[in-house]
Amino acid sequence: MAKEMMMSGCAASAQAAKLAKVEVACSYPIRPYTALMMELAKMVANGELDCEFIHGEGEHAQLSVVFGAAAAGARALTGSSGVGVTYAMETYSPIAGGRVPLQMMIADRALDPPGDFGSEHTDAMSTRDQGWILGWAETPQEALDNSLINYRVGEDHRVLLPQMVCQDGYFVSHIPGPVVIPDQAQADEFLPPYKLPHPLDPHHPVSHGPQIRPDQGTIMDMQRAQAMLDAPKVIKEALADFGRIFGRKYGMIDQFMTDDAEMVFFIQGAHAFTARHAIKHLRAKGLKIGMVKLRFVRPWPTQEVAEALSKFKAVGVVETSTSYGGAMRGGNLLHEVRASLYECPQRPLTTSFMAGLGGEVIPLHEFYYMADVMSKMLKLGKSEKTVYWTGFESE
Amino acid sequence: MFNIPKEKAVPLGCITPAPVTEQPMMITGNWREYRPVIDNEKCNLCMSCIVYCPDACWQLNEAEDEPVWNAKYCKGCLICVNECTSGALTKAYELDFEDGVVRLEKPF
Repeated sequence: MAKEMMMSGCAASAQAAKLAKVEVACSYPIRPYTALMMELAKMVANGELDCEFIHGEGEHAQLSVVFGAAAAGARALTGSSGVGVTYAMETYSPIAGGRVPLQMMIADRALDPPGDFGSEHTDAMSTRDQGWILGWAETPQEALDNSLINYRVGEDHRVLLPQMVCQDGYFVSHIPGPVVIPDQAQADEFLPPYKLPHPLDPHHPVSHGPQIRPDQGTIMDMQRAQAMLDAPKVIKEALADFGRIFGRKYGMIDQFMTDDAEMVFFIQGAHAFTARHAIKHLRAKGLKIGMVKLRFVRPWPTQEVAEALSKFKAVGVVETSTSYGGAMRGGNLLHEVRASLYECPQRPLTTSFMAGLGGEVIPLHEFYYMADVMSKMLKLGKSEKTVYWTGFESE
Repeated sequence: MFNIPKEKAVPLGCITPAPVTEQPMMITGNWREYRPVIDNEKCNLCMSCIVYCPDACWQLNEAEDEPVWNAKYCKGCLICVNECTSGALTKAYELDFEDGVVRLEKPF
């Protein structure tokens, strides 16, 4: 029987790896994701998980090890945080281009300006254009669920793409929350065994990663683009099956108290948890406010975002990553939100809030501030700025 | 779906059947500036060239007991010349040969 326990996001991800029967894992320490590997190492040592556990000599090596393992036909897992994620940058494109669907668990950590170990989404967001499926979890439960969902989607032969399954460092990775650990039979029903259509096999030798000619490059880019175009359909099938088997329903985006909402926070990851409380308090004061939570950054759910957000009058995008010098002068998400809404006949007023950077908590009063800005936008009938640095604006 | 002309099709992930011996789709001999030249009189069959060549362009001809060079794939890195223990291998500028390296019209 499925059982409920209190556990951190890292421990929940380790439970997901066990349920997925991961065959090869490669570790290299960096906090906060390291706790995942500590849990996995324990499971392997205790004989709970039959997995080859390899110590990489760095993140580039970690990714290279699981690349080889997954190419040889093993379900593989690695992970990292912050500068570890960016240290392995070179490996992301060839893994996606080679169509090897391994999984990487990321517990976010701010990149160094010098050292900061708080959570911030910039690490994984920096990799978003390499052809990996990418999305965030709000709770340890969602971290576990996303891991299973991503394996299923990435390994589907209509997709065959690697996946970054992200959770906010500390807020999700280290703060325990209630987690329902499903039965192995449920996981087995949901996730078929790993089967690569083109594994490395001495009996049927193939070449992986050959040098290609310039005229073949575009074709390969198109293949990867097509896989991303095909992914949403596969994701929706997987989410429907997940709901049926595990009883927890997810979308590509999820909505909270939006039925009569005039304005919404658009947000991903751990801070959505605080946003829910802020919304309840704001509603008690009579504000018609809700939340749209993003669950996949890649593939970006253009259609869903456009349909959901065009119902509202104002949208405040909570950015937990940086895009220095970008069109919106703040983070990354507002770029994509505005682009998604561009063709809609009915467009809400939009702006963005830099918040939760460097590992800062986004407290309730900051959400109230954001709601104030949106209320003013509605009164004025226009968005005066594309970005507000929450807590640091002059008024 | 994209329209990809048949002659331009690339296998999924560019994963191709392994050539097992030689890969005719990727000739690298034309990258060479210098080629190694062997003096079989001096060669002591230490096999260093065969062991060290990163592209397996030296193979032992067992009938004749001499290393044989593969001009089609040797990129001219000259590791073999560096590793040669008997002085049998020297480098020679590629364009000094009548059959010097064939430059392709396209770089690849």
